[in-house]
Amino acid sequence: MLTGLKRAWESRAARKFRRNRMAVAALAVIALYLAVGLWVLSVDGLKALGDSTGWWNVRSAPLVDALSTEQAGAVVGPLEEPGFGIKPRPEERLTAVKARLDDLGKAFRLRARGGEDREARIRAALAEINYGAVRVADRPVEELRAQWEAVKRQYDTIAESPNLDRDPAALPALRDLEAATAALFTEPGGVRGFLQDFRLSLGTDRQGRSIMVKAVYSIKVAIQIGLVVAIVATLLGALLGAAGAFFGGWVDYFVVWLYSTLSSLPDLVLLGVLVFMFTGSVFDDVNRPYLSLVPLYVAMCLTFWIGPCRIIRGEVLKIKELEYVQAATAIGFSRLYVLIRHALPNTLHLMFINFSLLFIAAIKNEVVLSFLGLGVKSGTSWGLMIQESTQQVINGFYWQIGAATAFMFVLVLAFNILSDALQDAFDPKHVG
Amino acid sequence: MPAGEPVLSVRGLSACFRTDLGVVTAVDDVSFDLSAGETLAIVGESGCGKTVTSKSIMRLLPERNSFLSDQSRIIYHNRPRRRAAAKDRLPPGEIELAHADAPTMHHVRGARIAMIFQEPMTSLNPVFTIGWQLDEALKYHTDLSRRGRRRRAVEMLRLVEIANPEQRIHEYPHQLSGGMRQRVMIALALCCEPDVLIADEPTTALDVTIQAQILDLMAGLKARLGTAIMFITHNLGVVAQFADRVLVMYAGRVIESGPVRDIFHRPQHPYTRALLDSIPRAGNRHRGRPLATIEGIVPSLLNLPGGCKFADRCPRRRENCVEREPALEPGPDGRPVRCYYPHHEPRVAEPGGRT
Repeated sequence: MLTGLKRAWESRAARKFRRNRMAVAALAVIALYLAVGLWVLSVDGLKALGDSTGWWNVRSAPLVDALSTEQAGAVVGPLEEPGFGIKPRPEERLTAVKARLDDLGKAFRLRARGGEDREARIRAALAEINYGAVRVADRPVEELRAQWEAVKRQYDTIAESPNLDRDPAALPALRDLEAATAALFTEPGGVRGFLQDFRLSLGTDRQGRSIMVKAVYSIKVAIQIGLVVAIVATLLGALLGAAGAFFGGWVDYFVVWLYSTLSSLPDLVLLGVLVFMFTGSVFDDVNRPYLSLVPLYVAMCLTFWIGPCRIIRGEVLKIKELEYVQAATAIGFSRLYVLIRHALPNTLHLMFINFSLLFIAAIKNEVVLSFLGLGVKSGTSWGLMIQESTQQVINGFYWQIGAATAFMFVLVLAFNILSDALQDAFDPKHVG
Repeated sequence: MPAGEPVLSVRGLSACFRTDLGVVTAVDDVSFDLSAGETLAIVGESGCGKTVTSKSIMRLLPERNSFLSDQSRIIYHNRPRRRAAAKDRLPPGEIELAHADAPTMHHVRGARIAMIFQEPMTSLNPVFTIGWQLDEALKYHTDLSRRGRRRRAVEMLRLVEIANPEQRIHEYPHQLSGGMRQRVMIALALCCEPDVLIADEPTTALDVTIQAQILDLMAGLKARLGTAIMFITHNLGVVAQFADRVLVMYAGRVIESGPVRDIFHRPQHPYTRALLDSIPRAGNRHRGRPLATIEGIVPSLLNLPGGCKFADRCPRRRENCVEREPALEPGPDGRPVRCYYPHHEPRVAEPGGRT
């Protein structure tokens, strides 16, 4: 095993690949994406395990918990805030302050019902309020209420100003108001503070969720879909195509008929029909989010195997006439063994190329389908983010669409560079 | 196994192909015996059925469009003998291969009857090391342990005179030259100690010096391992050098057979004689004269003439030649020949040298 790895590392193809800086960078990017995807997957797994066995509550470790399905759906700040610490327009800053004051106000207005301790009820409601790691300051309720009333009066005076943009006194007053509002809450420090900055780094969406966390979390969804679809479709296509070519006769007729029929239908229409078929079934259940991707897998695998099937069928048609296949038969191996151990390994390069093409195609199709409302329904994905941002773009808010597109762009570009470099490195016709 | 006893008997072998234009009989009623330790050469020009005969014995013809006639018998004489840990699942005695089932063929191929192909460049799987390929064959046919198989693979490579076999088994076919690949093919064919080795033009694709080395190697291995060799070629020089007995084929039929000396010194069939006369040779005896050739071409198998298939090219043709095909009967020499008017007198020229 080790000598095999050493041999592979020192092989001519590997050396050629390493000389290509772009390819190595692309490989590093893909490795990073894969690591993030695996990380998110394992955090979700750990969480489910901890919840069911009580073994370890992941939520107590903020750094581990930072990227998970739960966090991707959590509200972390004001709505539609731009990223990079850019201040929004004064009106929006005022709205954000008002939203927080209103949240507190709702809690203070609560009344005791039927012998309940009113103060305890209010305290419980206040404890519920959180924007990511930002929580209501831990102070006695009365003190907090007095402070809140003072800030509210301060807000009312500013809100009376007819034109915040032109009033020279308004901006310093707004800054004071924001500071006073912030005093009602405890800003997290240390790791939690860093995480809060990370969450707000690309701004927030229409529900105040972190765009950064959503975009990074979507890596998992993309890689999940890409890997499952590319592996299943490539293997399915390779096996069907190889079997058809190798055994010929009715097997071949059937395979060719199947893919000709399937490929005569437009891909997107077929995908749409399949996804609609699954609507309302178990796979559409909000309580079982882990099943929600299954319709996408099935739909894409059913259409994507055609490409590799055609190519590998053609290659096996060629290979089975070569003498080493006959020689293998002459050694006494059965036809199935010759197909799997001798013919198929000789199509590995085609499988690799098809795998990388399908991986990208699956990710892009997921985005397209989600955008059309046929893909990921509940949860997070780049496609859903782009769909959400259609209304934001009209208002001049580009953070969400920008983040989703940039994350996807980097992955797709890296994969294209990598497959190109692999082709160059392994192509025996370009030795040297 | 004692020499002289047949290991392979072919009786009335006919191989037919279904084509769009009808059924074509590529090999018609071929019979011969192959004894242990013997080299039988099958000679003839392109398309005369040499390769189809060999592939019929291995049952390598595509089942989709070809079949062996019901009368065809290919009998492998399975005698118990000591083998290196062979997985012996074949019953002793005569085993009929022409209509045998797939499992029987899987045990016979490679283990009992092995084959070397014409094109060494494409006969090895390019994605696996030669060690892997030798190991695979040994794993399939023997009970040897992993280490035992490796030792045997190295031993086989040494036997076929490959330098540094311990390093070479880690190499891929593309790292080897044509001659070395053919040596590996021979090692692959012989690693399970088969009784019969079918060599289908094993030297045609190699250059002349390598051809000689490979032939010497095969002759040496035959002597050491006692393997019977069925040697298919159109190179009569190689036949003179290498074969014990010769089978001359024309248009899918055996037209003459016999020991190599008799075939070269006293060819009975006009075709055999013409074939021998067309070998160019060194020396000034033939200087200035054009090389002897055989007029005409081989008749199409789709549209064979009714009588002797060689009749329209034959210098000794008479009327009755085209009426009815002659049978393969003992000629003036006592050896079987398929001709009404065979040559009686010995041929003057010596057997051809190595070419």
